[in-house]
Amino acid sequence: MLELRLVQGSLLKKVLEAIKELVNDANFDCSSTGFSLQAMDSSHVALVALLLRSEGFEHYRCDRNISMGMNLNNMAKMLKCAGNDDIITIKADDGSDTVTFMFESPTQDKISDFEMKLMDIDSEHLGIPEAEYHAIVRMPSSEFARICKDLSSIGDTVVISVTKEGVKFSTKGDIGTANIVCRQNTTVDKPEEATVVEMNEPVSLQFALRYMNSFTKATPLSSTVTISLSNELPVVVEYKIAEMGYVRFYLAPKIEEDEEETKPQV
Amino acid sequence: MSQTETLSLIQEIESLVSDQLQVVSYKWLSRSYLISSNEAKRLLHEFVEKHEGELEVVYALSGWLKSTIPSYHIRLVTGQKLAEAQQEFDGSCSVQVYSVQTSIPKDPAVLWNAEFIQAEELFKQPASVDNCLRDNRFCGISNSSVQRNVDGQTAVSTTPQIKTVAGLAPTKSNIIPQPPKNTVHNSIAKVDLKPQNMVKDVKSESNGTGNTGVHVNINKPTAEKEKPLPLPTGKKKIQADKSGSATGNSLASFWARPSAKPKPCSVPAENSNMITNPAEATENAQACPHEAEEGDSGDDDNQGVTLRRSSNRKRRVVFDFSDEDEDEVVVNLASPDVPSKQSSQDSRQNDMEFSEKATLNFDVPIENKSMVKEERATEKKVFQPPREDLSVINKCTNTGKSSTDKLQSSTPEICVNKDSVKKATPGSPKRRKVMKTRIDERGREVTEVVWEGEETEAKKADTVTAKKADTVPAKKADNTASTNAVNSAQATKKPAATSNTTGKGGSKKAANSKDPKQGNILSFFKRV
Repeated sequence: MLELRLVQGSLLKKVLEAIKELVNDANFDCSSTGFSLQAMDSSHVALVALLLRSEGFEHYRCDRNISMGMNLNNMAKMLKCAGNDDIITIKADDGSDTVTFMFESPTQDKISDFEMKLMDIDSEHLGIPEAEYHAIVRMPSSEFARICKDLSSIGDTVVISVTKEGVKFSTKGDIGTANIVCRQNTTVDKPEEATVVEMNEPVSLQFALRYMNSFTKATPLSSTVTISLSNELPVVVEYKIAEMGYVRFYLAPKIEEDEEETKPQV
Repeated sequence: MSQTETLSLIQEIESLVSDQLQVVSYKWLSRSYLISSNEAKRLLHEFVEKHEGELEVVYALSGWLKSTIPSYHIRLVTGQKLAEAQQEFDGSCSVQVYSVQTSIPKDPAVLWNAEFIQAEELFKQPASVDNCLRDNRFCGISNSSVQRNVDGQTAVSTTPQIKTVAGLAPTKSNIIPQPPKNTVHNSIAKVDLKPQNMVKDVKSESNGTGNTGVHVNINKPTAEKEKPLPLPTGKKKIQADKSGSATGNSLASFWARPSAKPKPCSVPAENSNMITNPAEATENAQACPHEAEEGDSGDDDNQGVTLRRSSNRKRRVVFDFSDEDEDEVVVNLASPDVPSKQSSQDSRQNDMEFSEKATLNFDVPIENKSMVKEERATEKKVFQPPREDLSVINKCTNTGKSSTDKLQSSTPEICVNKDSVKKATPGSPKRRKVMKTRIDERGREVTEVVWEGEETEAKKADTVTAKKADTVPAKKADNTASTNAVNSAQATKKPAATSNTTGKGGSKKAANSKDPKQGNILSFFKRV
């Protein structure tokens, strides 16, 4: 038996909007500590990890660890039927092959039930070790989204370089090149507008803008985004979900030309 | 352990348990943080005291049962049932924290999944690495008469090798395994096997090798047979680099994940070790195979059990090569002269089935054939294309690796054989993607996805065999030069594990082909 009641239903809607573009089908894993998801995109270049801790739910009941395979597009379709202020309850019975989303309007005068078929998804879990990143950049999420959008109109690859001065996003395309530098800036009125660069070592990595752009679909979830970079590690783009958890996107860097051959043939 | 260390470890445990929802058992803890098992238990106990009620605890009770027939019992119980379970024990029983987790998993296998994977990783490390499992350093139990071979091969591979030595030519000296190993192996193998993630292939491996041990005497030519497997040499180097990531290991090494310790490349060193005691080896050689086989067969059961639990989400059928195989082995030992007949049979098979089989056809004995059939039967049910293939292949290289060199036992061939059988599974397409794994000259395991065509492959294999027969020495020099270094480099189990981690990748890789420069997330994160 699983019953999760989320007062801020719009949050779940936003989460789905954030990840459905990247991943089609995924297993949601529910345990007594929270509601989580880990999935790779179909090309195995990016990975999304979602965690909604149980404390963030108004009511959280999960008797057994359960893994529910869902088509995220279908789930998003159903969640779209929920109003932004609705309370969403996710319910599933043990051994059932469906999950029910219940939407209650804030005034309690409308209650909708949507039952969705679950699917058997054969996905494997990846172990993501904690790592010390060479550089961690925190910036307004809208700013990051804007940069990615702008750069993707010029080129398809972004080079993110972090130096003492700040973080530089650059791209190169047929029509020319673009460089955007964001300097560290902590003297703002609101802390969420700050750009903070913590750097232990200079880092410069290349990423496909296509993926970055789909990560920025999570922008509504959080006003800030944290980008953690290390040479030879996937970048982590993290959107914190207030008091509940996070959505983290991992993206494998592009490999320099001469190393192309060493690309793992997994 | 100092107070601060303890504290920091406890914090680590906390984050593991509550954030990563991991089951933290004392074994896992001990191996991950290199502390003794008692220390690990103590830590867990402390942790449990601190977090009373916030998490689920599994205790290990051990003591004498109250039943009429005295029996010593070790039992895992959850916190709630602890008192109840204690009642069943006679007098005092020891109560230790086995693991902590946020919730009691539905499937008990989850309890030891983490440590299992970890053990697997440890055994996968190059044989020269003296990790905590190999030298048993954290275990409270040790047997002084057991010698641990740090540089060693496992029982499985040892057997054939030794045999060869005994039966064959003098060239062997460089590959000759150290005799003491055998005994050690058996004992170690037992220990190993349990935690190992031996997917069914491993199992077959052990059986297979049992068999091979026998054949070795017969046919020298087979030794080279394994080589067709390797890819074009040009690629080797590159592959070498890939290998790590292909198997998901390199990522691990970046991140020094506890379950996947970085693997130092200490292969060469070992090599020198290997060369020791040729004389002794021969002496012992004759005696060893039996022993080893016994060891193997004994382990089968274990493996059977663990295998099922090995993969996280998939259940798989485990081949049960039961005892017949062993019997056959015995028979073989007695009359090692069958090869010619077999080869014809085999080659017939070859025609029907494609692939490297051709290469091996030398002395696959009759029994082997029957085994093959059996396997086929099972195969239908179990068929899981890439993973399976991969693992099988792995197996080959693996065994090949350990015994390689000049005389390479026939182990590889058997594996390959099986491998081909798999490919021949009814309904398999004419061309299919196959994971090939081999060892490159730097001792690393290389896994590559190759398109395997039915006719072409068979032909190729045939020609290769022919050629090989002619140019044996030259080729040998070529191919084995590389393998030499590797020789005993890695523990036999490694491939099995590898196959798990890489298994799926092959089929999906294509999606990535769009942008050759784009890295793959799988090369950074390991499948759990």
